[in-house]
This record gives sequence, structure tokens and C-alpha cells, in this order.
Amino acid sequence: MNNTDDDRLTTAASRLATEISPQRDLWPGIEEAIARPKRSRWTPMFAQAAAVVLLVGASSMVTYFVVKEDQRVVEVLQPTLLTETASFAGRASLGAEYQQAHGSVASQLDVELQRLSPEARADVERNLAVIRHAITDINQALDEEPDNQLLQELLASAYRDELAVMQRVGSLTQQVMSRQDI
Amino acid sequence: MSSVEALLATPLSDYSRWMVTLNEPGLTEEANWIARAQRSDAKAFESLYRLHVGKVYGLCLRMTGSVAEAEDCTQEAFIQAWSKLDRFRGDSAFSTWMHRIAVNAVLGRKRKTSREQDRVQLASEVSPAPVSMADTGELRDLANAVDRLPEGARHVFVLHAVYGYSHDETGKMLDIAPGTSKAQLHRARRLLAQQLQEQGFEA
Repeated sequence: MNNTDDDRLTTAASRLATEISPQRDLWPGIEEAIARPKRSRWTPMFAQAAAVVLLVGASSMVTYFVVKEDQRVVEVLQPTLLTETASFAGRASLGAEYQQAHGSVASQLDVELQRLSPEARADVERNLAVIRHAITDINQALDEEPDNQLLQELLASAYRDELAVMQRVGSLTQQVMSRQDI
Repeated sequence: MSSVEALLATPLSDYSRWMVTLNEPGLTEEANWIARAQRSDAKAFESLYRLHVGKVYGLCLRMTGSVAEAEDCTQEAFIQAWSKLDRFRGDSAFSTWMHRIAVNAVLGRKRKTSREQDRVQLASEVSPAPVSMADTGELRDLANAVDRLPEGARHVFVLHAVYGYSHDETGKMLDIAPGTSKAQLHRARRLLAQQLQEQGFEA
């Protein structure tokens, strides 16, 4: 075999088809195999994130009672912090509906906070800071484990807690104003 | 009920009201499928399968010479890819990454079940020869001749001469030294030349 034969063989080989379609659809077998649930992993990162959210929950309740104490005219509030399960795709973005709701209460939050006593205002601000710090921590954990369902649930809960605290401040002060107007 | 109250009353399980998964701007459609599949989106992974199955199956078929084995190896490769997707960092093209996994699937299968003789039998059972059906004219003779090469020479010839991988890349894929890859290629060419000369092949 000489160089010319080699070249001809190389040229011919490079013309062979590199893409060949299988005679049957192989996807159903693959789909079935990958549908089996992955074993969940509990790592110190998740434990840390869970602890952060427990703290957030506690902070939210503290905020609730502090604000309630500060505005004694308010009689009944319905805390809406639920602990239902969720299933998120990792690295999700906040939806438009959330952004809109968040924006509507955030724009009024500063005004509402001014109606609280300095002590109550400091408590609310501190607790909101805890929640926002938790959101940052959970997002960092999700960067490392984007598919972790527990972290996704914790993130949603933290966003929800933030919104609930902000809304509670607003609704409390609005109720106070209504009662005082009477 | 205000929009905030409505949102707070929404069960967390209805997460679509809270969060949306967006395509990441600036990424190609394939890159978006990869990013979404890395987040366990099976639909996105199916899109990747549809895009790459021809390349993966083609490689498996040329390396094994058997439709049944190529199908098994293709499925195994995509299942493995799904479980390893979080390790894909985009350092190489996704097709190259899939090829490496496919080669491992072929080699793993061979290691498990030493089926070289079965392979020859299976290939001869399929009529016409499956590999050559993908090619036209005189290239079918070459494809059939490649299929009859000894396993080591065939693997190197397919990866280097057909798919264009360097000897370094071929060696890494097959877990052999680059020098061994060169030697196997030389052997493959010699054997192919003999076979094709007997058939009067003109490339």
C-alpha cells in the first residue's frame, strides 16, 4: 500500500455518512429510564438552607406579633404562610405576577413603615433583611445544586415570606388609618 | 381580593404563578435545551436527543456493526448523558461530549459481554448490511470492509478516519496511547486495502 492508496482511502472514509438515523424511535426506552426518580441528596448545604428558612419563618412570626402589638386597634389577621410542597425547575425566575405583586407592596412599604413606632419599624426591617439574606443564600445553594427540589421549595417559601411580611405591614397600617378615620 | 392576596393564597405547588423558567438570553437553541435539561427538563432533553441521535447512533453502528447493539448503546449513551448532564460545562461541543459517552457505552458493553463473535453473527443476519445502507455506491464496499475489520483497528479507523478525531482524541476516547492509535490505523488501512483490492474498489 502506497501513499496514494492511503490518500484515496482517507478521502473515501471521510465521505462515509457520520449521521445515521436508527430504524426505530429509541426515545421511549430512554424516557422510561430517565423518568425513574433520582435519589435525593441531603447535604450540609441543604441543612443550612433549611435552617435559614426556619429562621425566616420565626422572623416572620416575630414581625407579625411586633406589628400587631404596635397597632393594637388591629383585631384579626390571617397569616397565609403555608408549608405546601412545590416542584420547581431549578434556576427559575420570578414570574411576572409575583413581580407585579411585589412591586405594588414595595412601593408603599417605606410609607407604611413610617406609620409604625421606631422599634416596630426596626424589627420589620431586620426581619425583612433576614429573609432577603436567606433568599441570597438559597440562590447560591441552587447554583451548586440547581435540581434540588428542597432548595426550590425553600426559595419559593422565602419569597412568599417576604411578600407576606411586606403586605402585612401595609394592611395593618391601612386598617389603623381606617379605624382612626371613623 | 388584591393581587397580592391572590398570590399569597396560591398554593406553593402551583409554582408557575410564582416563578417562570426562562430561556437564557444569548444562548443558542441547543444551549438553551442543554441548560433546561440540566435542570431536569425531560422535554428539552428529548429535543437534544432528536438533534443528536443520528450522530450517536451512526457512531455506535459503525463501531459495533450491529443494529441491535447500536440501538442498545445509543440508548445507554443518552441515559448516561442524562445522569451526567450537570458535569457538562461546554468545554467541548455537545456532540463531541455525546460521542465520548457513546464510545464508553460501546466499550463498556464489549467489556461486559465479550460478544465479538456474536457481533459478526448479528451483522451477517441483517440483510443488507446495516452500515452500508447509510452510504451510496462504492462507499458501501468500504463500509462493509470497515465492518469486517478487527475490533481495535475498526474503532480507531472509525473515530480517526470517519469522524475526524486526532490520534490524541482517539486515544483518550479508547483509553489507548496515541502511538497505539496510529499503529491500529496503519493496520486498518493495510487490511482495508487488501480487502478492497480484491473487490476492485476505486475510491
